[in-house]
Amino acid sequence: MNEAMKKARDIITGYSGRPVRIMEVCGTHTHEIFRLGIRKLVPENVEIISGPGCPVCVTAVGFIDEACWLALEKDCVICTFGDLIKVPGTKLSLAGARAMGAAIKPVYSPLDAVEIAGQTPDRQVVFLAVGFETTTPSACLAVKKARELGLENFSVLTANKTMPNAYKALVGSADAFIYPGHVNAITGNAVCRQLCEEQGVSGVVAGFTASELLTALATAIRLLEKGEPFFRNCYPRVVKDEGNPGAIKLMNEVMEPCDSEWRGLGLIPMSGMKLREEFAPYDARLKFSMPKIEGKPNPACRCGEVLQGKCRPSDCKVFGKVCTPLHPVGACMVSDEGACSAYYQYAGLV
Amino acid sequence: MNNETVTLAHGAGGKQTSELIEKVFKAHFSNPEFTADDAAVLPKIDGRLAFTTDGFIVSPWEFNGGNIGKLSICGTVNDLSCMGAKPLYMTCGFVIEEGFKLDDLEKIAAAMEKTAKEVGVKIVAGDTKVAGKGQCDGVFITTTGVGVIRDGASTSGSNARPGDAVIVSGDVGRHGCTVLLARDDYGIDADVSSDCAPLWSTVESMLDVTDDIHVIRDATRGGVGTVLYEIAAQSDVGIALDQSAIPVDSAVKGVCGMLGLEPLYLACEGRLVIFAPADKADAIVAKLREGRYSQNAAVIGHVTEDNKGLVVLKTQIGTQTILPQPKGELLPRIC
Repeated sequence: MNEAMKKARDIITGYSGRPVRIMEVCGTHTHEIFRLGIRKLVPENVEIISGPGCPVCVTAVGFIDEACWLALEKDCVICTFGDLIKVPGTKLSLAGARAMGAAIKPVYSPLDAVEIAGQTPDRQVVFLAVGFETTTPSACLAVKKARELGLENFSVLTANKTMPNAYKALVGSADAFIYPGHVNAITGNAVCRQLCEEQGVSGVVAGFTASELLTALATAIRLLEKGEPFFRNCYPRVVKDEGNPGAIKLMNEVMEPCDSEWRGLGLIPMSGMKLREEFAPYDARLKFSMPKIEGKPNPACRCGEVLQGKCRPSDCKVFGKVCTPLHPVGACMVSDEGACSAYYQYAGLV
Repeated sequence: MNNETVTLAHGAGGKQTSELIEKVFKAHFSNPEFTADDAAVLPKIDGRLAFTTDGFIVSPWEFNGGNIGKLSICGTVNDLSCMGAKPLYMTCGFVIEEGFKLDDLEKIAAAMEKTAKEVGVKIVAGDTKVAGKGQCDGVFITTTGVGVIRDGASTSGSNARPGDAVIVSGDVGRHGCTVLLARDDYGIDADVSSDCAPLWSTVESMLDVTDDIHVIRDATRGGVGTVLYEIAAQSDVGIALDQSAIPVDSAVKGVCGMLGLEPLYLACEGRLVIFAPADKADAIVAKLREGRYSQNAAVIGHVTEDNKGLVVLKTQIGTQTILPQPKGELLPRIC
C-alpha cells in the first residue's frame, strides 16, 4: 500500500461525523468494493449501499420474455453477454429456453454477433443490446457494420439505458454518490455538475483500482464532513468534462432516446435508447412483428428495492435460501456485479 | 503414416486393431511388464499401495506446453504423488474418434512415453476403442495408476491444523489460462504455457526434507481456490491467504483482468498445495525452489481456528475479504 492509499484509508477510518449513506451506482464498483473488503474498512457511521448500476440487474423481466419469444417462436439465434443467460424471465430464463432447444450463444462483443450472422446466412441472428453508455456505442457499431455488410439476418433487441437520467431518479437515495467512471468517460460530467449546483446532490467520479476507489471514497467522506454539496472528478486520468464526443456522435447517429423500464425504478422518461427509424430494419421488435410482452417479476423477490438502496439483500425473504447464485430468483443474484450476488458470496466472515 | 486416420475397423478387434497397437502403443510403451495377455502380471510389491484413476477430455487436445497424452500421465502420477506414493504402474484406455489422424495419435503416445519415463512409471496394459464420427471429440484417455506409499507419509486433506503454513509449489492458473487462449474464442494473444508436469520428484524432494507434511494436493480443475475450500471443509479449519504473496504470472494476471477471472480458480496441472507446520515451511520452500517444476514456490497463507470452512484473503489495502466460491463451471473440458 502506497502513501496516498494509506492517507485515504486514514481519512475513511477516521470519519466521526453524522451517519451518512454513500451509494455506488456502478456494478463494477459494487464488485470491487466487496473484493477489496472496503465495507469492512468504513466506520459504523458510514453506510455503503449499492445502486442500479449493473446492466443485467436493471433489465426488465419483460425483456427476457421478449428474447425467449424470439428464440422459441421465431427460431432466432440469440447472441448475448453471458450474464443475461441465467436471468429469470416471467416463466423462463434464456438458459431454460436453451434447454428446450433454443440457440443461445454467449458473445463478448456485439461485433461477434455480426460475425455469427455472416457465417450463418440461413439463420436469423439477434443481439441482445443491454447496458449503459459503456456498451451502447459498440452495439451501434455492430448495427452499422451489419448494414455495411448488407446482412439481412442480423437485428438487435434493444434495452439500452442512459445513466444520467437514472442519477436524477436516484436523488434523495443517499448523501453522496460514487459515479461510475466508465459511464462518465463517455457522457462527461455535465449532468453530475448540474445536479450538484441545482439540487445539491453530492458525488464523486471514481476509477476502479484499489487506489482510485479509496481516493474517491476518502474525498467524498472528507467533503461530507464539511457539509456543502460537492462534485469532484476523482478519475481525471480517464474522465474528461466533455466526455467522449466520438462515442456520443456514434450513439446519436444510430439511436435516439426513448422511455425505458428499469427493474426496481420503473419507467424513467427518456432514459433508454432505441434504433432510429433509418435503422428500423435492424430492430428485432419491428422485424418480427413482436406483440406487446409484459413481464411479471417473482413477487417474493425484492431486487427492485435493493436496487434503490431501500433494503439490503439480506432483508429479502428468499435471499440465500431459495435464491442463490446457482438458482437465482432475481437478477441481482445473477451477475457478479449484482448486490445480492456480492452479499451472498462475501457473507460469513468473522 | 502421413494422412492415415483411425477408422472403425481399428476398433473392431481384428487385424487392424493389432496393427494400431503394434505401431502406436507398443512402440512407445514397451517394457517387460507390458502385457499381450488379458491382464498385466506385476511383481510382488512391499508396502501400502495408493491406487487411482482419472479421465482426460481436454479441448483442444494439444496446447502450449503439452498435449492430452502428457496430461493423462501427469494427472494420475500427481494424484498418486500427493498421497506420498511413488508411481509404479499405469494402465491407459483410449476412446478415439473415427477420423483422428494416426500421426496425432503417435504424438500423444510419444508424449505419454516421455513423461512416464521421466517419472519411472511403467505402462503395463491398455485398451483402445474407436467411436463413430461425432460420438466423441478427437481422443479421450483414461489412466489408472498404482504406487507404493513412502513410509511415514500421511498427506490426506483432512490433516490440516491451525497454525499450518499454506504453500503453493509455483505460480497459479497457467494451465487453465493456456487452454482458454488455445480455444481462440476470445481473440486474445498472450505468451502463456501450461504448467502441466509430473510431480513425483517434487513430492519426493519435500518428503526428503521432512515427513511432517500434513496435506499435499494437486490443484487441477477448479484451481488452487477450489482445493483450499475442499481442505478447509475436510479439516474443519479456516484458511487465511495473503493476496500479495500468491504467485501469478504477469500474462495470466493480464488475461484474468480482461476476462474478469480469478487466477486462483483457473486450473493448474503441475502445481501442489502443501500444508505443513509453520516452522518447517521455509525449509520446504527452499527445497522446492531448487526443483525443476517448483521454482516459484511460496508460502501464501496459514490455517486458522476461526472462519471454519472459509478461505479469507488479506487484500492489498489491508482489509480481509472472502475468496468467493465459483458459480458453476468456469470452463468446460479443461483436463
